Amino acid sequence: MKKKFRGASLVMPDRMYFFVTPALVLFLVFWVYPVLQLFYYSVTNFNGVNYNYDFVGFKNYARIIQEGSLINAIKNTFIYTVIIVVGSNLLGLALAMLLNMKIIGKTVFRTMSYIPALFSAIVVGFIWSYVYMPGSGMLAALLNAVGLDGSTVNLLGNFKTALYSIAVVDIWKNVGTTMIIYLAGLQTVDESLLEAGKIDGCTEWQLIRKIKLPLISATITINVVLNVIAGLKSFDYSFIMTNGGPGKATQTLMYIIFKTAFNDQMMGKASAFSVVSFILIIAITIAMLRFMNKREVEL
Amino acid sequence: MRKKIAKCVLYFLLILYSVVTVMPLLIVVSSSFRTTGNMTSPLSLFIEFSLDSYKAAFTKMNYINEFINSLLTTGGSVIVIVLIATMAAYPIARIKRKSSKMLYYFFIAGLVIPAQMVIVPIAQMFGRLNIPNTRFTPMIMFITCSLPFSTFLYTGFMKGVPVEIEEVAYMEGASLWKRFSQIVFPLLKPATVSVVITQGLWIWNDYFFPMVFVTKRSQYSIPVGMIQFLGDRENPAQWNTLFAACVLCALPLILVFMVLQKQFINGIAAGAVKG
Repeated sequence: MKKKFRGASLVMPDRMYFFVTPALVLFLVFWVYPVLQLFYYSVTNFNGVNYNYDFVGFKNYARIIQEGSLINAIKNTFIYTVIIVVGSNLLGLALAMLLNMKIIGKTVFRTMSYIPALFSAIVVGFIWSYVYMPGSGMLAALLNAVGLDGSTVNLLGNFKTALYSIAVVDIWKNVGTTMIIYLAGLQTVDESLLEAGKIDGCTEWQLIRKIKLPLISATITINVVLNVIAGLKSFDYSFIMTNGGPGKATQTLMYIIFKTAFNDQMMGKASAFSVVSFILIIAITIAMLRFMNKREVEL
Repeated sequence: MRKKIAKCVLYFLLILYSVVTVMPLLIVVSSSFRTTGNMTSPLSLFIEFSLDSYKAAFTKMNYINEFINSLLTTGGSVIVIVLIATMAAYPIARIKRKSSKMLYYFFIAGLVIPAQMVIVPIAQMFGRLNIPNTRFTPMIMFITCSLPFSTFLYTGFMKGVPVEIEEVAYMEGASLWKRFSQIVFPLLKPATVSVVITQGLWIWNDYFFPMVFVTKRSQYSIPVGMIQFLGDRENPAQWNTLFAACVLCALPLILVFMVLQKQFINGIAAGAVKG
């Protein structure tokens, strides 16, 4: 009966929808409409400035596939995403579990691992450019100090290591945030359940595996989703630290979109990249949420 | 005994981790106090205290000016976000129908779309609407990009505010706006703290939108001012100035964090957990 009263909406009338207007207008004008325009530009040779452009059909798509830059960017973005999702979550969870115990100096450790999250990506980029700098950077100096030859190590200049090196930077910056979210999740775990587990003779590992992890499955979901989104959006360190290089080794989807649109002035081609990215991102998000929802119920 | 050993191992791991995390920062801070001529290994920390690099960075960045620009745009954006995101969340949380559910998902979808992807059409939209490039232009994008998360968070919190309170207010003849602004909004304080901190943090640190939309040097915010140091990386003599600039850039937030540590931690956790 009560439900019906609410449905009749005397208290919550439809004119409440006016409250959405400012947000909705901003969102439609500066976000949704520009996204739709990308689909349109992707079939033109628009250069971003001159409005006398022609329709070229699916030529842009054909080109980015033939050049191999699309596959390369997708591959790099995926590798980067997997590294930061696995790295941040394992490290963040381990840290949170440690800091959830009775430990001296808890706040100090927590503060220290969180501080990098306060920095602007551009500052982080500079700091780590220095860390990785061949010859006189921090890593080189450390290697020299322990008697190894640091001058030959050039992680950012190497095709094989550059992408992993910038992913590490991302983990360094974001693991504090992941850790704080896990810590909040762990604090909701009922102590009495753990006590009961101990009385029944569970080992520490069983307590974690059978009690703690299932109880914080919602937190795990959130952290994985947040890190996947961050990974798919990765742009900062390719832009600041490596310029997509060496060669194409650190070109992520967002980096190549930006570069094609601004440096190469090929908005049509950049839009083709954008449309592919858009479809990928939406598909991955939906798949991920479905999978996670299902898992949470099972656990 | 075994427990003691385990504890020692734990502390060792934690300390090792902290050292690895903090080491780059220590070296940066220590080097920023060095003069350019100091060629000893950067690993010998804090052997010299000179403010030369800071003076150079301070003038090169036009720090005071950039700081004010950052403060104005971040503060302004956050205030507007809190206002219009709570407003948007109000009907989405309160009206129980398909249309409000659809609005909810519509806003959330914006969360996953990266700015780099849509930046050119957005710039064109600014051109079409004759919006000039000033220090305040990026604010439009800061607000728009913050809407999905903020609305999402406020909707979650608002569902926890009992409808009965509003029903009583309705009986006593309170208008819709009065109910929203004087009953519901004050009850959302934890959500507001969370929004202000999470959104304020990324907006303060964002260099991308100001880089695209601000043309005049005098209107730069701190992070975008840092971009001009990009070229200095090639010149080892400039590194100390660059480090000083990094410290100056990070300092305001570190100070705020030190004062409001508890709110930060709770705000970030609440933002994720409620969502």
